[in-house]
This record gives sequence, C-alpha cells and structure tokens, in this order.
Amino acid sequence: MDFYKAFGLIISSEIMLPPLRLLQSRDAPSVDVTIRYGEIDKNGLKQATTTGLHCQVAANHLWLHVPNIAWFEVIDGNQIIVMPESGVDQQSIRLYVLGSCLGCILHQRHFLVMHANTIRFGDQCVMFAGASGNGKSTLAAAFHQRGQQILADDVSAINSQGEVIPSYPQLKLWHDTIKQLDIELAGLNKIRMQVDKYAYPLDNDSFCQKPLPLAAIYLLNTHNQENFLKEPIKGFNKFNPIKNNTYRPSYVKGLELQSIQLKLASKLAGRIYITRITRPNRLFQIDQLIEFIQQDMVSHGMAI
Amino acid sequence: MTKSGIYWLASYPKSGNTWMRLFIANLNGEEENPVDINELQTGSIASARGWIDAVLEFDIGALSHDEIDQLRPAVYHWSATHTEVLEYHKIHDAYTRLADGRELIPAEVTRGALYLIRNPLDVAISFAHHSNCSIEKVINNMSNAEFAFCAGNKRFHNQLRQWLLSWSDHVLSWVDAEHINRLVIRYEDMVEQPLTTFTSVAKFLELTTDETSIKQALEHCAIKNLQQQEQDKGFKEKMAKSAKFFRKGKVGDWQETLSPTQIQRIVSDHFQVMQRFGYLDARGQPLVRPLVSHQTIPS
Repeated sequence: MDFYKAFGLIISSEIMLPPLRLLQSRDAPSVDVTIRYGEIDKNGLKQATTTGLHCQVAANHLWLHVPNIAWFEVIDGNQIIVMPESGVDQQSIRLYVLGSCLGCILHQRHFLVMHANTIRFGDQCVMFAGASGNGKSTLAAAFHQRGQQILADDVSAINSQGEVIPSYPQLKLWHDTIKQLDIELAGLNKIRMQVDKYAYPLDNDSFCQKPLPLAAIYLLNTHNQENFLKEPIKGFNKFNPIKNNTYRPSYVKGLELQSIQLKLASKLAGRIYITRITRPNRLFQIDQLIEFIQQDMVSHGMAI
Repeated sequence: MTKSGIYWLASYPKSGNTWMRLFIANLNGEEENPVDINELQTGSIASARGWIDAVLEFDIGALSHDEIDQLRPAVYHWSATHTEVLEYHKIHDAYTRLADGRELIPAEVTRGALYLIRNPLDVAISFAHHSNCSIEKVINNMSNAEFAFCAGNKRFHNQLRQWLLSWSDHVLSWVDAEHINRLVIRYEDMVEQPLTTFTSVAKFLELTTDETSIKQALEHCAIKNLQQQEQDKGFKEKMAKSAKFFRKGKVGDWQETLSPTQIQRIVSDHFQVMQRFGYLDARGQPLVRPLVSHQTIPS
C-alpha cells in the first residue's frame, strides 16, 4: 500500500500511481481515498439510476466496465475498487483509475469538475476547455515551455471558493505534439504501449502545488477559416459553457448531483471571465494562438 | 408501434453523401426555407468519436484503433435499441468484419443501407479537390486495398479510423452484403433523373414520398443553392485546405479534366465494378452517361 497526493486528497492505493506525488506514511495521517482490488458484480449495480452500455450510476456509486481492461466501482467519494480483466497491464488500469474513477471521486466530493486544463498566471489561474483535439494539452505544454506553472491537465477541479486544486504533475502528449514543440522524446514513457501518446512529467518548479482562484475560462474551438476569432461570453450565457465542459456530465446526472453542480456553476459564472477562442484548424499555429490569448488576458487586466 | 433501427447512408467519399443528407433534412423539415448547410441535423457519421465516447462513458483517447473497433458494434447496437425513432447515419467505412468475425455494423440493428455509387473517374477529381492533392495520389489511394482515413497513430483524430479499402472493394463490400436490406443508387441518376431517383430513396428510407415535398426538398438542395449558401457563410464540413466543398457536382467532368493515361488507369483498376454499374460500354470504354440497365439491388 502506497500513499499519494492528488487534487488535494491523500490517497492510499494498492495500485502504483507513478505520476502522483508519493508520500511517506507519516505525511498521510488520514486517508481521503482508498484504491484497492476487490470483487465486483459483472452484472452491475442492483439499483442504478442510469444504466448505460458499460456504465451504471446510482447516488454516490459508479460502476464502470472498460472491456479487456477492468471493472471499476467508485463509492461515496472515498473508495475505488478495481477488478482487472485477465492479462491486463497495470498502465491500462492506472489510466482509468486516474481518469474516470478519480474524476468521479471529485464529483462525489462536490467539486465542480471540468474537462479542461489549468495554468497559473501570477496569483490566479486560467482554465482552457474545449473538445478533445482542440489543443488543450498542446497549449498547456507550450505555456509550460514559456515558464508558466501547470495546475492540471485534462481534468480540473474547482472548489466551492472558486479555486482550482492542483491535480498531479504530468501532461499527456501525442507524438506529433512532442515533435512540434521540440521536446526530447527519448526518456519519455508511453501512457500505454498500444498508443503513441506519452507521459510528460512536470518537476516541482513547473507544477503549481497550491490552489489558486480561477480568473477566466478560455473555450478552445477551431474552424476551417484562416483567421483567429474571440467571442466574449456575457451574463447568463456563461452558464452553458461551464455546464457543457464539465467532466462526464452523464456521471453528474446519475450521481444526482445536478443541483449541486448548478449552484457551483452559477456562482462561478457570476465572477469569472469567459471567452471563446477560435483558431484555424489547418495548422496548429501555437505561437500565434498564445499571443492572441495573452493579448486578450492583458486587455482584461490579467497577469501573463 | 414505434419504428427503430438505423439507416446507413453509405458511400465512398465524394459520391453525393452530403447532398443526400441535405435532401433528407429538407424533406423531413418540410420548411419553406432551405435547411442551413451548417445546421445539418441528420445523425452523426458512424466514425464520430463523440458518438462512441458518449455511449461508452469512458475515455477512448488511450485506446488503439483496433481496440476501438472492437467496441463499435456494441455502441451502434446500443444506440439503435435505445432510440425510439428511425436514425439516419452517414458512413464512409467499408462494410467489414473485425478480426474475430463480428460485423463492424451489426446487421440486426441495420434497418437498411442506402449505398451511393459515383463514376470513379469523377470521384477521383472531386476527391483530389477535397483533399487538395494530386489526381495521381487519389488514383493510387482508390486502388489501395488498405486505404483508410484517420489511421495514423501519432496524433489525435476527430474521427475514428475508417477502412475504405479500394474504391471497388468499398462498393462490393456494401452492395454484396446480402444479409442486410440495401438500395444502390448512382450519383449520375440523382443528377439526371432526380424526381424518380430521390422518390425511390425516400420510399426505401421510409420518408414521405409526396411529390410536392420531394420537389421542394430537391429545389432547396440544388447545387446552385448549396454553392450560394457556402459562398455566403462558408461550410463547416469543408476541409480547410480545399477551396470550396460544393464545387461542380458535375457528371462527366473527367472528359475535360483527366488525361488519357489517368482514365486508362482508373478503368483498368476498377474495370469489373465499373462495368457492373454501367460506367463502361460493351467494348470497355468509359461512358459519360452510364447505361440505363445496370445491376441494382431491389429494395
């Protein structure tokens, strides 16, 4: 059993979680989340609120089957149970523990969980959301190269004070992104042997270890034109982009957390700045995109 | 009783699929004004990552193409059996089986497959414009039995890998899939005899066959109107590197555009299938207007 820290939570785990900060047992006086192997009913939950093809959810309880990898249960915001399929590798299990399962834990613990990454700027932070493929991780890696600290990649958790909690010190980057950003590929490990995507570890200077107030959300979008666009989102219209970019909205519904999420999202919408940024999809002009975003941040009084 | 199941709008790329989807949207909408080309609400393409991801409810971003393919049949099955209306989905994948013998597209939830075929001589030109590449490259792709879209593994693709196979293999994979209900329609007949052709399509797809409605839908998606919409506000499905999506839509463009060598190459690569669908005369020479009598599949 090892102890780790991620999203401000102390985690004890029977599964090794190398991207997470390892704690000595004396630094883990009380455990928030336990990850262990155990028996799971392959047929699912007895009383599910929502029943999907491979996912069933009840209040405080998620059941998930990733074929050929494992069955998972996530309970009460403090337990993850794993029953692996035969012959599966640890890496594959780890990915879903740190993805779907930990994402669900954060929902259950009443964070506002976003499918987004978060970067530090001065004493605040800025979130970048958008559909997969719109460049979130590439942008995070490029900001990291410019010396900005990262708080979270892919899944970002916002607490009730409107702060983003640091996740764990790793970016996941595709082979082509690594090449585009001139990052040394040698020495990086694949996130799974089956795909050409790599774990890029962040050192202590590159990873922000304290929660920071969220100042803005940039929604990343692409189009088949050659120009960059920005479209500030005002008033009540800010609510939907927050809702649409939450992590796995179907979990929220099944967990019966919609009203809690609504409250968190409304509160946040009232105090942060949200803008949609659209870039050409033909080539990922990362320098131009960063310049475009930075100009906008400066014009809205944010540090860059 | 409610009807459910999926009608697949299947074709090799650049064979009239978007036009067909616009026709269906306009026919279903029965509005006075044409459907906005950027608000096309027919179902997702079969290879849409978002569709698969939403049904699975876990991240497929770290799975290989083969692993994702293993999950696809169950997703289509789930979608079709959890929707109480008929669904219409575009698909460019060839009709293939997985390594374990299962069909990628399960027959039991396939209410029908409308297969659109277009003269490969014209497909080559349109495909080259669409991808902004040379006609030679397209001719090579069309003869490549292992040709696929989004098959690279070094970056994220918005769509899943789609095996297209060669143009001939693509056609045969669908038109000879005997255990599914199918209708084969030639692009040239959509252009030359729109009312008859689109009426038979509407009947097959269980849509209204009312003549006035079909005529209005056809007018709304006439090529000149689609070109006008694209000119006015762009079309989001256009590839960034191509000049425009709704280009000519012309039958027989190959006569002016392809060299004799290119024509000969395509005819020799796809002789049997071209002959079967009336694109060659008795001497094996390509025809501008395909033969009226050709082998189709009765619906």
